[in-house]
Amino acid sequence: MDATETKPSLLSRFGESLGLVVVLLLVIGVFSLLSDRFLSAATLNSIANQVPALAVVSVGMTFVIITAGIDLSVGSVLAFAGAMLGVAMVDWQWPLLLALPLAMIAGLACGFANGWVSVRFAVPSFIVTLGMMQVARGLAYLGTDSQTKYVGKPVEWLGAPLPGVGISTAFVLAVVVVIIGQFVLKRTVFGRYVLVIGANEEAATLSGISIRPVKIAVFAIAGALAGLGAAFDSSRLGAVDPNAGVGLELAAIAAVVIGGTSLMGGRGSVVGSFLGVLIMATLTAGLAQIGATEPVKYLVSGTVIVFAVIVDAWRAKKLKKSIA
Amino acid sequence: MRKPLSLHPNLRNRLRKMKPLPVFSTILRSGIALGVACGLLACGGGQDDGPSSSAPEKVEGTSGTPEIALIMKSLANEFFKTMADGAEAYHGEHREDFELIVNGIKNETDLAQQVALVEQMVARGVNAIVIAPADSKALVPVLKRAQEAGTVVVNIDNKLDDAVLAEAGVTIPFVGPDNREGAKLVGDELAKSLEKGAKVAILEGVPTAFNAQQRRAGFEDAMKEAGMEIVAVQSAQWEMEKANTVTAALLREHPDLAAVLASNDSMALGAAAAIKAAGKEGAVKIVGFDNISAVQAMIKEGRVLATADQHGDQLAVFGIEAALEILEDNAAPEDKKTPVDLVTKDSLP
Repeated sequence: MDATETKPSLLSRFGESLGLVVVLLLVIGVFSLLSDRFLSAATLNSIANQVPALAVVSVGMTFVIITAGIDLSVGSVLAFAGAMLGVAMVDWQWPLLLALPLAMIAGLACGFANGWVSVRFAVPSFIVTLGMMQVARGLAYLGTDSQTKYVGKPVEWLGAPLPGVGISTAFVLAVVVVIIGQFVLKRTVFGRYVLVIGANEEAATLSGISIRPVKIAVFAIAGALAGLGAAFDSSRLGAVDPNAGVGLELAAIAAVVIGGTSLMGGRGSVVGSFLGVLIMATLTAGLAQIGATEPVKYLVSGTVIVFAVIVDAWRAKKLKKSIA
Repeated sequence: MRKPLSLHPNLRNRLRKMKPLPVFSTILRSGIALGVACGLLACGGGQDDGPSSSAPEKVEGTSGTPEIALIMKSLANEFFKTMADGAEAYHGEHREDFELIVNGIKNETDLAQQVALVEQMVARGVNAIVIAPADSKALVPVLKRAQEAGTVVVNIDNKLDDAVLAEAGVTIPFVGPDNREGAKLVGDELAKSLEKGAKVAILEGVPTAFNAQQRRAGFEDAMKEAGMEIVAVQSAQWEMEKANTVTAALLREHPDLAAVLASNDSMALGAAAAIKAAGKEGAVKIVGFDNISAVQAMIKEGRVLATADQHGDQLAVFGIEAALEILEDNAAPEDKKTPVDLVTKDSLP
């Protein structure tokens, strides 16, 4: 305790996510009791390989929500970027390393449009991205002619488990994105601006921060990361699906909120969101593994989401007291 | 031009004084504005063009030819798009025999919109409605009204619920494939390459959908008949991504799983990816249903064993033909079974 008292910043940084780690371990523990085969390297690897797309999308969503905005279009943008990836790889025979930047640019363009329209015409991001949700889905159907495209080997290496390691390249990249995201948020000027704008936009303006570029950038980042997520998703499935990412925005928002980011803006953590993603993914995988019925899956997932937020809030409160 | 939206001064002051949480207040305010705007638009539209304003333009054609309305589920879905494309191609060849109006709903579960479409088509006075109902129960009342108004109604794709039809006292002919029989065909083919007593898992579609229940029953029939052990039946909601997650979990829980029976091809693709990721390719066999283009490549590569083709491009055509028959001969409407074929590596070109 002495060591931590002299370094409160370390405690707060570590403690910020401790409640979530506890929830994650609890979830893993419960499933281990319910199934003999749950607690194994194979299970953990397989869960890890399922999260990359949701993880990077949630990083983008974290930034958007910290500015007190919301992005409902990420699922559709992911489908649209995936469609571009599929068209490039199947119809034009591009390699993944060329198609991936294309997908990210497609996502970036959608995100930029979200941010620009929202800022330029002072329309709440809720409405703008609700519109983009439809537009991008339409573009995804147009791009793929409403058909699932089978890509196969050229895309699969990205999401396939690395031999001997068990986790995929996509997971490693997703973790790198999370680390960079956390660094940018907490250690860079841009990150400070994002936090300040979310906390008090008026004060930020008065202190001379130009808000518009920051806000647009946040949406553009979220779009580009949805594009990256599209590549991860397609690589895991070996195919692109115009119906991909339906409901993804809600999963991402849930992960971000579980991760302790305030929907009112001004406070949040990328690492927290990542833990939120892991909790949700473990829950889905575990419920499927123990053979839970459809209604039970919904009941349990909903309850755990709320429970996780309660535990996190309680933990944060205790932490504040202990620091004070 | 419409007057700009203005609020009563008192209300405006009230809204100003309200200080709820910042994000929600903007959402709330835009929500109110949007709602009011939509209301205005709706009223405006009604005054201008009458109630049938949103019906599509009438197709040019010779008078006297019957008009048939094809009402689909989501045209964004590959399966229904294929169906509609097939119907339009057929219409292209028989332009002199009938007029075709194709309508779809945006979201497959948007029942209200589909009911409204039926009403619009009846108001327009079409001779026949060929419909793929978004729900096997909720569409019955409006279709009954259509029939009472003198419109010929033919049910395709998703069969209307027999009990509800009986209760409403209507007969609506169903023209379509027997999903249970099709699934049984696929299951039988799979059983040939499994040893007796092998462990298999079934991926179900949306459990409330009639065709999902039928396919699951067909798979179960085949597996029980061949003496296989069904260790799990889980829903993956027709979705590739969900099928991937569920299959990965099933493989962990049942390491000796020998086969996955997916109720549609999208789920078969998701399952195939999960089996590959688990390094069990070849050891776990996969079958699907629908014969979508993406799965054909997998069948050729030997990663998927078989699927069923219910001739999606012909499904709506069969319905239209039945409707024309009833219109021309005043034939008594009766159910018709359309073919379902097994697709394997050998049957693909």
